[in-house]
Amino acid sequence: MATFYDQVREMGLKQATIAKSDEIVERITAGMNTGDIRSALRGDEARRPNPRLRPHADGFWFHIRPSFYHNEVTRIYPTFRLGWLSVFMFIWETITGIFLMIFYTPRPGTAYSDIWNILANVPLGELMRNLHRLGAEAMVLVVALHMLRTFLTGSYKKPRQFTWLTGMLLLIFTLVLSFSGYLLPWDQLSFWAVTVAVSAAEAAPPAEILGTNINLLIRGAPTFGDGGLLRWYLLHVLVLPLLTGVFLFVHYYKVVLHGHSLPPGQEKVGEDTAKRVPKGERTYFTPDILTSELMWTALTTLLLIVGALWFYNAPLESQANPLVTPLHVVAPWYLAWSQGWLKLADKVLIAFIFMPALATAFFVMPYIEVGKSRRYADRRVGLSITMLFIAFMLVSNWMGSPEFAVESSADQELFQELVPQEGHSVLLAVPFEDLEEGFYVPGGDAPNPALEEALQEFKSAMDRHSCNVNGNTWKDDCKPIKDSEGNIERYANTFASEAMPDAKAALRIEAEQHDLKRIIMQVSSRDPVSGEILVDAERVAFRHADSGYEGQ
Amino acid sequence: MQIKVVIGTISFMLVMIILGVAALFEPARLEETADAFVGRQIEKGAVIFHDSCAECHGEGGLALDCSTTAGEEIDCKGIPLNHAALLCGDPSLRMQQMAWNSSKENFIKQTISSGRPGTLMPIWSKSFGGPMEDYQIDQVASFVLNWAETPGLCGDGAVAAIEWPDTVEELPDGDAENGRDVFQLNGCAVCHGDPEDVNSVATVGPWLGNIGNDAATRILGMSAEQYIYESVLDPTSFVAPECPNGPCNDPSVMRQDYPNLMSEQDMADLVQFYMTLKTE
Repeated sequence: MATFYDQVREMGLKQATIAKSDEIVERITAGMNTGDIRSALRGDEARRPNPRLRPHADGFWFHIRPSFYHNEVTRIYPTFRLGWLSVFMFIWETITGIFLMIFYTPRPGTAYSDIWNILANVPLGELMRNLHRLGAEAMVLVVALHMLRTFLTGSYKKPRQFTWLTGMLLLIFTLVLSFSGYLLPWDQLSFWAVTVAVSAAEAAPPAEILGTNINLLIRGAPTFGDGGLLRWYLLHVLVLPLLTGVFLFVHYYKVVLHGHSLPPGQEKVGEDTAKRVPKGERTYFTPDILTSELMWTALTTLLLIVGALWFYNAPLESQANPLVTPLHVVAPWYLAWSQGWLKLADKVLIAFIFMPALATAFFVMPYIEVGKSRRYADRRVGLSITMLFIAFMLVSNWMGSPEFAVESSADQELFQELVPQEGHSVLLAVPFEDLEEGFYVPGGDAPNPALEEALQEFKSAMDRHSCNVNGNTWKDDCKPIKDSEGNIERYANTFASEAMPDAKAALRIEAEQHDLKRIIMQVSSRDPVSGEILVDAERVAFRHADSGYEGQ
Repeated sequence: MQIKVVIGTISFMLVMIILGVAALFEPARLEETADAFVGRQIEKGAVIFHDSCAECHGEGGLALDCSTTAGEEIDCKGIPLNHAALLCGDPSLRMQQMAWNSSKENFIKQTISSGRPGTLMPIWSKSFGGPMEDYQIDQVASFVLNWAETPGLCGDGAVAAIEWPDTVEELPDGDAENGRDVFQLNGCAVCHGDPEDVNSVATVGPWLGNIGNDAATRILGMSAEQYIYESVLDPTSFVAPECPNGPCNDPSVMRQDYPNLMSEQDMADLVQFYMTLKTE
């Protein structure tokens, strides 16, 4: 071929430069020159031979992508773009995760302050953390919905059983990835949620041998510390992303190999026509699918950034303290069902028999459920079971919340609602200057609307946790709960199984230091029969002018 | 397809614009978050102070109002922390007196972490064998330092090193009632016991219940007032004969910095208070 110098002599500098750049573009795209790209973007018919197919044959990046799809699978239904979104979220988490890794050291002594450093010292650091956390939750949701969709359209059926199996693995990886990241900020929320979840592993039978050693393996020591945090960090940033990446390619390879399954109504029962796409039914990757994906990339990025800037704040509680267990330790929403189950039955039964059995059932389901038809009308039993299962999971998730079977004493529950040790409340969110010093009663007069709202909340919390015997302000009458000998054991009301009879409560706000106020909440209650003191409790909280709970 | 290109392009531009706007507000947000961190440190420190420190250093850090966790009122064993001598000036008088060469924050953290040998101040940091994590020490230090923000505390030279006069006569007139407050505020009872209670037991220094009489007999030709004045000013100038644990140490183990913690009026009041202390 002629050198660039020869070309310049032959065609002049301008033409030679154009020709040269065209050649470079063609090399980079593995087959499409500038004119081809512009014609593709304009939506023109491709020239013959079609240069838009060459990147799929010769290029690395497009090699795994099909060069065309069936028209029927390019609309929102039947895929809802959920598989694509799962991959997008995985890449998104990798990018934001690397950003966060730069500012993070996995040691209990520094991890928590590193997170504060990201929030208070790294430009756009808070946004990055919010994006990573929001992305993690979105990814769990998207992957779970992807699986649900695959089930509903019957796409797990032959020949795609193995694709489903790798998908199950990816779902588990996603859950563990999300949960392993939970521990890294080393705050009370993360430390205790993970401690509680891992404590189930300790029960692995026989507990003296297997349980003890699994526990040591997971925590790096009998309790979480330097070793445990490092292990979970490596799991989160190295082992699981690698495994996920590898199985993502296996999964996608199988998707391409078998083709995207058509909507169930589009083909005859028992047939799989995904790989035989008639000429007239083809949508080519370039330009249609490519522009569509670029559009979804831009749109999803926009949504996530808007969400992370204005609607979502990644939580950060106090630094992890192994000596202080916060009142209500809850698993993240996507694992709350397991916490619900653990409340119902023995750890061993749930964690080592029921959950593995359930997972196995999911893994092998496509090999056992071999009904030929993918049509909805032919799969009424399966679809009904799915709906029941979803309902079961939602109820299980509710059972995982503190509302179910872990009620604490009434005064502690009251304090938890207004002056919690961790997290936020209406009272703590009152702007500092509105926390005027004084003595207040539930639902009483307040010098400003914000404090008044908090006192209303105080009143309704008292309504929930106290009851009326001798006529006072609390709405509900006390229901005496008697023990087997007929003695009154405790009192209940409509909302709570333990309520304080004729309770009195008050709130004092005092100055502690410059820009620091002390909030003292007191509650007391006497037994209406014997007059003996049942409850006499006080909770003190402090509030600094700069602590910034208002916005949260 | 055209519409996809348009939507994609607009979304991408919006992302860039939003990131740009967010970046504009970023310096203010960073500062706010940094303040929020300090604010929360102070809140956490307040909780720890009330749980672990107030029993000796008193409510509000004044060493005036101390009670056990059971609510029983007791004498304050610690020195006041909500005090200009500790908190005002850099280095503060207390830091100068302890020959501290680093920052005030480090001074407070170090004192909490390793305790103060020779006093009742225990070791707090796990690094030195105490019960607390270092981050908790940081929180308490933030809380203690926040007293320096009290309006007026560090006003124009509220406490400055004073050129003390040679004789007690040159001090202003003292008031014994105020002197009792000076005695308590400076934590004298920690070592000397309660001088107004004959049953009180001094721990380190001599019990001072009869100092009004004793002071006149110690040095021939020196007035009781002058003896007391010089003893507070420089504890080693005279050493009392008997301490609770046998003969008193020479040089004295008493803190040398009381002159820095007091005004001339405080000193005169204190001397007058001591002069009222007579058992017969």
